Amino acid sequence: MAFKQNNNMTTRERYPLLNSFLEGWSIFKQNLLGKIGLTLLIIFALMALCSYIPPWISPMYNPMTGVDPEITSCSAPCLRHWLGTDFMGRDILSQLLAGARIAFMVGISAAVMSIVLGVSIGMTAGYMGKFIDTLLMRLADMIMVMPTLLVVLLLAAVFGQLNIWTIVLIIALFRWPGVSRIIRGQTLSLKQRPFIEAAKVAGASHFRIIFMHIMPNVLPLAFLFMTFRVTSAIITEAALAFLGFGDPGTVSWGMMLQWVWKTGNMFQAPYWLLPPGICISLITLSFYMLGRAMDEVLDPRLRKEDQTD
Amino acid sequence: MTLLEVENVSIGYNTKKGYVKAVEGVSFSLEEGGSLGFVGESGCGKTTIGMALMGLLPPNGSVSEGRILFDGEDTLKMSDEEIRKIRWREMAMIFQAAMNALNPVQRVGNQIAEAILVHDPSIGKEEAMGQVEALFDLVGIPRDRLRDYPHQYSGGMKQRAIIAMALACHPKLIIADEPTTALDVIVQDQILGEIKDLQKEFNLSIIFISHDISIVADMCKDIGVMYAGQLVEFGPREEVFESPAHPYTKALLSSFPTVTGKKSDLIPIPGETPNLVIPPAGCRFCDRCSGPGPSCKTETPEWVETGPGHKTLCCRC
Amino acid sequence: MDKRDESVLEIRDVTKIYKTKGAFFGSSGKDVTALNLISFDIFKGEIFGLVGESGSGKTTVGRLIVGLENVSSGKIFLEGREIIGLRGRARKEFRREVQMIFQDPYQSLNPQRSIYDTVSEPLKIHGMGNASTRKDLARETLHAVGLSPPDDFLFRYPHRLSGGQRQRVAIARAMILNPEFVIADEPTSMLDASISAQIFNILLEMRSRLGVTQMFITHSLAAARYLCDRVAVIYRGNLVELGPAEEVIRNPKHPYTQALLDAVPKFGHDRDARRYGSLLTKARDAEEDVGCVFFPRCAAADEDRCGRKHPNLSPFGDGHLVACFRLEAMHEA
Repeated sequence: MAFKQNNNMTTRERYPLLNSFLEGWSIFKQNLLGKIGLTLLIIFALMALCSYIPPWISPMYNPMTGVDPEITSCSAPCLRHWLGTDFMGRDILSQLLAGARIAFMVGISAAVMSIVLGVSIGMTAGYMGKFIDTLLMRLADMIMVMPTLLVVLLLAAVFGQLNIWTIVLIIALFRWPGVSRIIRGQTLSLKQRPFIEAAKVAGASHFRIIFMHIMPNVLPLAFLFMTFRVTSAIITEAALAFLGFGDPGTVSWGMMLQWVWKTGNMFQAPYWLLPPGICISLITLSFYMLGRAMDEVLDPRLRKEDQTD
Repeated sequence: MTLLEVENVSIGYNTKKGYVKAVEGVSFSLEEGGSLGFVGESGCGKTTIGMALMGLLPPNGSVSEGRILFDGEDTLKMSDEEIRKIRWREMAMIFQAAMNALNPVQRVGNQIAEAILVHDPSIGKEEAMGQVEALFDLVGIPRDRLRDYPHQYSGGMKQRAIIAMALACHPKLIIADEPTTALDVIVQDQILGEIKDLQKEFNLSIIFISHDISIVADMCKDIGVMYAGQLVEFGPREEVFESPAHPYTKALLSSFPTVTGKKSDLIPIPGETPNLVIPPAGCRFCDRCSGPGPSCKTETPEWVETGPGHKTLCCRC
Repeated sequence: MDKRDESVLEIRDVTKIYKTKGAFFGSSGKDVTALNLISFDIFKGEIFGLVGESGSGKTTVGRLIVGLENVSSGKIFLEGREIIGLRGRARKEFRREVQMIFQDPYQSLNPQRSIYDTVSEPLKIHGMGNASTRKDLARETLHAVGLSPPDDFLFRYPHRLSGGQRQRVAIARAMILNPEFVIADEPTSMLDASISAQIFNILLEMRSRLGVTQMFITHSLAAARYLCDRVAVIYRGNLVELGPAEEVIRNPKHPYTQALLDAVPKFGHDRDARRYGSLLTKARDAEEDVGCVFFPRCAAADEDRCGRKHPNLSPFGDGHLVACFRLEAMHEA
């Protein structure tokens, strides 16, 4: 034999997952959008982590209950309160940091839940076809036409103020149909491809085909969708909070906007209005950029190095 | 008289991987009523030449040197407007994968009529349709299929419709790029026969591009063999087919199985085609040649006459 | 000569009908008979060619054998065992013994999986070996199909390989389980001639070194002549001629086979002086599904027999079978 029989596998060979990760990272590094997006997200993540610091320094910095003995109304930024205080004298900066925490929690949990649901249902419907497909897609249709916000408002009216995790669950339950439609479409077209047939001929079980062949080809799309879901989840939560139906026990950027508006300080206190608004926009943008970069990482064919005319 | 004269033409594409020299230093000429075939495998540049002749190179492609003289005029120096006048009226192309060249949402008859009207707006729609009917008779499509949509046509019929479109403005030169590749062998045979008949009837000049050397030998008086962007052999079909001079031509001929004659071993050509961004110095076929000479790798090969009108680009010969 | 005990695959009266749905629920559309009572045997160690044009049903035959589609009626035997309706463990066993090489090398490899993943997957599915032995076997198989050094290819992705290289990977995947029988469905129709020649030679080597029985599906009689021991010609779902490859191509008896041979581009032949001239220039008007399937285009057909009854494959010489009334008449005379 002209080649070496090498039974000593390198670390990278031994842990294929690690290998894929490192490979993916080196590709990701080359994408400008991805780097910007990731940087922004790291900043927001740091903000979220730092949200624990202000209350630890002094109870007056607690975003919900912090009371500054000297300030009891909306005031401009000063040395003690870098972004000023809201109408109750609470520190805006600590609210902003807490809001970052909530944004991540809500955004990512809701997105992950809706993607997991959407991908599983979409793949099952597409692969199984016939009766199951019809059943699942009719269900998806029904949910898709329901206006999310309205239903949530109704639920809030019935059950009173909603807990943040309930909100997350509801967002996820309303958002999976969109994902599943797209994933089902992809699955349908993949099902006919020769490499799936080749796997069947080799003896692969349905399970194996769905999870080892269809899923990896569907995942790039799912990840891309996830970034949209995160943005839409954050915005939905913000909208709910803004309309007054958020969880009153949590401070989110949407809540902050609601307070600004309700207390009539929208034009008087730009230091209060602008930070949460800018944060919502930026975090949405950064997830989007991340999604575009992930697209390239996950789909080997899109990698720039290998493209010919 | 000479209809087409191509002098030392080089064409390249700007791609993400660099500048691909798709065609290098190709020269040939075509008489009126003559037929010339280009044969080669994928990536050899034959389609690129066809596109360049029609002025249809994609935005990232350009002719970097040489002249293309059609009826005495250099098409490379013409403006877009002038080329558009020539295109379709003087020279027409039957594209590869012509199946997809028909608009699926328009009736076939109308599409061809439109092509006629675009180039001669003076005639009315009625007269244009009359011409389309005549064309259909010519290519063998029943007249009652005029109002059908492309998906209602069989593969062979679609190809015939494309040929009708190419002939619509009575061009002098037709460039056929793999017109029968996607068709079954019996339909292919019929279409090739029809092209030959049309050529005789209208004294058309034809450039026929194919990967199948037996089709080209059947259809054309002269054959040009292309490899890696270069013309490596050129000559009358009898000469090239029966006494191939270039090692690539010989190898190509022996990699096609045949139904007649003695059954011989198919000898595949080892290796892969060279990178055209950085083409190898010396002979481009050297790495895969069965018997390279001492200077083949470093010296650029020159044209060698091996017979009447038959020349090859090879150091060894 | 009874070769039954030597046959690897036996197909008996296999029919495949596609039912197209009507426009409304409940109403039936037209039934399309893709294959009509196909019967033939494939003997051990041979390369059997199935030649036909598009729409002839040749690919369907392959798909039915391999189990990607179900027959409408008929039986298929692999080494004497019936393979239709196999379930569970028996089916898995069957999958180890029969493999397929697909036509499109650009679509038959999962773009998201490395070459190693693709080639070793059959081993994983059947629970053979461990990570290290699988890797060795993958290397060996890649080397055997000419992808050397194999380590260069193992962890690449398909889009980095050329068409010819991808097809070799597909062959490696089919061969890694050491199957008894491999179906090659037009494996070279998307490749250049010189690359096709490489693939043909690999298939020949598979037969000579490993004794793998093969069925080669193609539209090219020339390729079938080069590669195959015996050849069957299929036209619109019916076998019209079957016999030793060289014999069928040198002395075709069925008008359709003759028409195919007439149509192959040959430099130097005079177009009008056809060797066989068996094809009508304009097809006859004929009732569908009645009579010989080639009747509408056959120059020598006669209305009475050919237009009314369906000829069966009958022996006409040493191992040479033809489905044609004209020949039966000649034979009897």
